[in-house]
This record gives sequence, structure tokens and C-alpha cells, in this order.
Amino acid sequence: MRMGRFRPRVPERLQHPGPLRYLLMYALSAIVLLGLWWAASALVKELKGGREFLPNPIKAIGEMVRLARLWFPNFLISAWRLVLAILIAFSLGYPLGLLIGRERRLDELISPMIYIVYPIPQVAFILVLFLIFGIGNPVKVAIVALALFFQILISARGAAKNIEDTHVTSVLSAGASRWQVYWHVILPATLPSILTSLRVSIGLGMAFLYIAETYGTFDPRRGGLGAFIRANSYSAGQAFAGILAMALLGLILYVAIDLIERLLCRWKYTGRRSS
Amino acid sequence: MIEFDGVVVEYGRGPRATRAVDGIDLVVEEGESLALIGPSGCGKTTLLFAVAGLYKTTEGSIEIDGESVRGPRREIALILQDAGLLPWKTVWGNANLSLRLHGEYPRRTAEAVLDELGLAEAKGRFPAELSEGMKRRVGVARALSTSPSVMLMDEPLASLDTLTKERIQDLFLRLWTRHRFSLILVTHDIEEAAFLGQRIAVLTERPARIKSIVANPAMGDAEYRETPEFLNTVKRLREAMEQGATR
Repeated sequence: MRMGRFRPRVPERLQHPGPLRYLLMYALSAIVLLGLWWAASALVKELKGGREFLPNPIKAIGEMVRLARLWFPNFLISAWRLVLAILIAFSLGYPLGLLIGRERRLDELISPMIYIVYPIPQVAFILVLFLIFGIGNPVKVAIVALALFFQILISARGAAKNIEDTHVTSVLSAGASRWQVYWHVILPATLPSILTSLRVSIGLGMAFLYIAETYGTFDPRRGGLGAFIRANSYSAGQAFAGILAMALLGLILYVAIDLIERLLCRWKYTGRRSS
Repeated sequence: MIEFDGVVVEYGRGPRATRAVDGIDLVVEEGESLALIGPSGCGKTTLLFAVAGLYKTTEGSIEIDGESVRGPRREIALILQDAGLLPWKTVWGNANLSLRLHGEYPRRTAEAVLDELGLAEAKGRFPAELSEGMKRRVGVARALSTSPSVMLMDEPLASLDTLTKERIQDLFLRLWTRHRFSLILVTHDIEEAAFLGQRIAVLTERPARIKSIVANPAMGDAEYRETPEFLNTVKRLREAMEQGATR
């Protein structure tokens, strides 16, 4: 049975690119970005009378490679802080979001609190958090985790509310307990949208990490990429090496989430039948 | 045996309650097939869900083999519109869901059911990769896996094309003849009711009451569709439905 003649048909390989195509698309995007960067750098140089405020990509990447010994330890520090924060936010925000999305009483009790607290920029809590946790690792992880927690919580709540009734009816009629409904329906049905929201949150998480790392740390060797960039902000080449390292970190996390989604949400990546 | 005794189902409480089902008295014998037919939104699905234990009766009672229905039971299977498959489970996962929920996993039973329905090859596929007809068969496989004594079907073939629909109706008939479960089929398709129901209860518009019951003793094989008796039943059903209808 064909579903309507006017439905635009997207070729399958465009819907879900294979690994080779995936790499090709990233390579192409990288080339376009580098081109734009080059143009911007040339433009700034022209406008500023020949002074190089924005180094061109070749120079910046050269610096990045040359200075690898300096930024790489910071890269690892930032990476584990971010990953830890994501794990904490995910393991607290996801189940809680699902629960308040499905259990009406809990929703009535908790949602007003969330909507009062959520609009306050989490950065505003930074001083309090510094007072509680000191200036070490915990505070940096806590700030990022706090920001991501709300993102994940709110999208999990929304996703749980939007689950199709037939899926729930289907397992209930087969004798599922409340927890079996969570396990067989609510968890798998919401996972794709939670991973999407996690992807969106990575940018936010990096921004918060940057802010947290530029606060209160003055050791450019062990402060994370934020501290590294800040400590080198007067030398464009080194600062850019740090910025590129942050971009690399973001890219690695995006790709990791893509891979996790392909693994856990295999059903979304199978060829659809048009008939 | 399924006994309906003055069954009333209401949504909501107090003065704002809506009555969906209004006083159903009916007995479905063991191994009998009964079709419930009525206009869209008349409350027939509500009645069926009450038998499945998904809705509580507001008044009256529904008893299966002398035991009143208080919740879903292993021996009652429900097939939903569009088969109610979970998109994230494979054919195998969907077909075995009921068994898994009951903490059982008799691999052999499941394999046998999939074989019987011609799904053995498709075990590893996801619902999105199946044709509509195959999806319905997976829904049937799931329902059959627990060897139920009562099979409930809620417009199981809505939105299928005619040929696929007839093929699956033939399948339903074969399975009912072979397994002899009591069958309650909810449908708004007159021909489907005439093909699969030994008796057909015609319901009124909401709230659902039984308007009339049409006996259909000649049903029971795939050629029935071509017989004058079939056309006669269809005609009687149409008349019964039109009688006193406002739409």
C-alpha cells in the first residue's frame, strides 16, 4: 500500500548515511569551515591594517600541533569534567523527568518548583557553588551538571508526556506492571529525543565549563581548556590552539552520542518500507 | 464463558461523568465468536477494554469463567488497532512480549507460533520494515503466544486494503477454528462482522446499548463470503444498524 502519492520521497541513503558518507560529510563541512575562517582572517587583517588578530587556519592548526604538549593535558582535564557532568545530569535528570512526565501527582508537586528555578541562569549560582565546593574539580563538574540536569529533566518530562497511548495500552493489556511499562515502553520511546537534547546540551555544557574553568583557576597547566585559553589570551596562536581543542572536544562528544544512538536505537536506523 | 451483567462504564465522576456503555447484558459461550458492531465512537472499544481489564465497570459486572474481571489476565489476549506493536522491538521481541511480561520464556512455543503465521524468516526485523499485513500477523503471534482462552480484537483490520484485509480475516477464521478461543471482535465493518461472528451484536450510538443480536450460524469457512447467506446477513445487519440511527 503506497501512502499518498505526494509524500516527498527521500532516498534512504540520505536519511541515514552510512559510515563512509558520514565521514565524507564531516570532511566537506571541515573544508567549508576552514575556507570561511581563512576569508574572515584575511578580512580582519585587511581592516586592521595588516595586524593579525585572527590567525589564519593553517597557522592556527600549526600552532595547535606545535603546542600539543601544553594544551593536551588541559584537554583531558576538561574532557573528563564534561563527561562526568553529563553522566551525573543524565542519570539524575532522565529518570526524574520520566517520572514527573508520567505520574500526575508527582508532576503537580515538582513541576512548579522546576519552572521557578529553571529560568534563573545557573551561572548565578556559581558563587554559592564555589563557597560550597571550593575552587577544585567538584565545583566545575557541579556547575555543568546543574545546567545539563535541567535540560535533560525538562526534555525527558516532555518526551514522557508525548508517548502514544496505544503503546502503553498494548503492554498493559498483556499484563505489564508499572515498572514493566517504564522498561518496555517509556524508556525506549523517549531515548531518541533525550539523546537529541543531550546533543544540544553539549554546546551549553561547554560554555558553562569554560566559565567555570576561567573562575578561580590560575594554573594554566592543570586548569582545563578554559583556564588555558584565558591564561594565553594575549597570544593569539596559543589561545586559538585552546579554542580548536574545545571544538575537537565538542566534536568527539557529538560523534560519541551519534554512535550510542545507533547502538541503542537501532530501530530508527533500519530501512523503512514504503509499501 | 464471558458473562456481562448490567455493565455500565462511565468516564469521570459525579455530574460531569460521561456514560460510554449503558447496561449490557450478554453471554458469550466458550469457544463462541461474537462480533460487536456499531457506529464510530459508540463505546464498543470501551466495552472491550472493560473485558480486557483495562477499564473498571461503573455498575454491573463482567465475569470470565465465573471469576469477575479486575485487571488484565494471562488467559485474555487483546489485539489492538494497528496491531499495537512496539517500534523498538523486533518481530521476535514483539511476539514474545506477553510471555516475557509474565516471566516466561518458552522458546519453543514462540517459535511454533511464528512458524504457524509464516513469520519465522522475519524474526530479526523491526516493525517499520514490515508490510501492514505482516504487522497484523505479529500482533496475532503475540496474542497467541500465551495460548489464551479469550481473544479480544479492537478493529484489528482498520486501514488495510481489501485484499490484505480478507487474507487476515481468513487467518483469523483458521486460528479460531483451530484454537477455539472465545472471540469478541469489535468492528465497524459490516462484512467483517458477518464473516467472523457466529452472532453479531448491533450497538446503538453512545452510550452503547445492545440494539439487536443477529444470528449467523452458517459462518465458518473462507467460501462463506460467496454464499447468499452471507449477503443476507450483511443485509440484515445493515437494516439493524440503520434502524433508528440519527446519522
